[in-house]
Amino acid sequence: MTSARAIYTVWHRYFAVFKKNIWYGLVTTFVEPVLYLTSFGFGLGVMIGDMNISGVPVSYRAFVLAGIIGQSVLFVGFFEAAYGAFIRMYYQKIFQAIAVTPVTLSEVLWGELLWCATRATLSASVVLLLGIVIGDFNPLGAVLMIPYCFISGLLFGALGLLVAAKSRTIESISYPQYLLVFPMFLFCGVYFPLSNLPSWMVKIVFLLPLAPILSIVRSATLGLPFEPLALVIQLAWVAILVPLSRRLMMKRLVA
Amino acid sequence: MQPLRVDSLVKNYVTKGRPTLEAVRGISFEVRPGECFGLLGPNGAGKSTSMKCITGFYSPTAGKVEILGLDVHVRPRQARLHLGVCNQDDTLDSDFKVIDQMVQFAAFFGIKKSDALIKATALLKRFDLFDKANDEVEALSGGMRRRLQVARSLLNDPKVLVLDEPTTGLDPEARRMLWDVLAEERKKGLAILLSTHYMEEAERLCDRVAIISKGIILAEDSPPSLIAQQIGTAQVEEELRPGIRIQRAPNLEDVYLKLTGTRLSGAGGK
Repeated sequence: MTSARAIYTVWHRYFAVFKKNIWYGLVTTFVEPVLYLTSFGFGLGVMIGDMNISGVPVSYRAFVLAGIIGQSVLFVGFFEAAYGAFIRMYYQKIFQAIAVTPVTLSEVLWGELLWCATRATLSASVVLLLGIVIGDFNPLGAVLMIPYCFISGLLFGALGLLVAAKSRTIESISYPQYLLVFPMFLFCGVYFPLSNLPSWMVKIVFLLPLAPILSIVRSATLGLPFEPLALVIQLAWVAILVPLSRRLMMKRLVA
Repeated sequence: MQPLRVDSLVKNYVTKGRPTLEAVRGISFEVRPGECFGLLGPNGAGKSTSMKCITGFYSPTAGKVEILGLDVHVRPRQARLHLGVCNQDDTLDSDFKVIDQMVQFAAFFGIKKSDALIKATALLKRFDLFDKANDEVEALSGGMRRRLQVARSLLNDPKVLVLDEPTTGLDPEARRMLWDVLAEERKKGLAILLSTHYMEEAERLCDRVAIISKGIILAEDSPPSLIAQQIGTAQVEEELRPGIRIQRAPNLEDVYLKLTGTRLSGAGGK
């Protein structure tokens, strides 16, 4: 068995559970973005109408729909890893069971992260498809965003894994959830352009991983200006969080 | 080449770069084909830490562990192909049905689904779980989950089986069943490393036992030899209840209590 094969068997374990609970998976994957889109895009969008961002005219509905992609990747990636990995590590002790087979703990954690990224990509793809179908997204740009969402899902999966590794109890996952994940969701520009915020706040917010991701997603799907700095910041987060989360989880498990 | 060889194993727990606890302080032993070797000791003696080093889950501070001559920490993939593990904790994957759990777990050993189904079916029958094959793992009783976990550890036809407190929570009938299955597997050459709190079980199952305390092996031999060396062959007197005293043959528990100087923390005391 190669290492890639070992990681795949771990990934496949998650996929098998997803398939088994397919209705739960589909409802959470499809219904949530559609609810947000209907409420904000169609509901609030009527009051706001068209916007002009950096000289590009964009309907509020399209703006929000692109925002929901980032939100889905954040929520699905983070929650799957933070709560899911905590349960698998602490209650089910699945990591401990698999890591004494020919599969190593390192491979188990790769499988975990890749699954979180997969799950996040699935959710984001639903929104991307929706955007193409209702004509709000540039189709080519939207398709390009599928692999990009995978990398972003890896980022938030790693953030979740890091939280799971550092949380003593499942309740304590609420702290990073309310102090980091929800603020990102509210302030990183899912529902309004960052330029609405005071400039000192923009500087801080743009360093959080969600804001750069939204910038890239909107430039690809809506034709807004591409900001290379956004890509640099996001990839830096991936480069930091992926190895760090794996190291902390291994440290927690094998002391 | 022995199925399992543990050589001068040391494990220190390290917090913030400083060693805080010397859990295992240099233990060595071998388990031969078809042999059952018992690791006995009070809670905190280093049994579980040793087991976790032996399965390659923990990296030892020093020393080495070989399964069929393969170093489990250097070549975990090859070495653990021949290893079956039943952890002390319930580590069943409760997201699956009983049979799917087995097939899924076999994949970690590179066993194809069609082969895994055959092996899993046979094992479920041997452990009297076949009528539960399509039940959710969640729905099983504690004893059934334990049996399933032992059954799962035999999926890859291991040459070495590590059982950490396997009979905790089993009723007498289920315990007998497990003993019978282990006896059959031993006839085929399976080497078993067993940790248990039940001295009666150790005396019955183990060809040799090592009594460990504070991370070192205090004594290692066959149960009858240990009893003869440590206690002697004369009858011992024991007060069962106030005023009721009996004479009986010395047993492994007497050796255990003498060497570790503790009262048993698990059940099984007489």
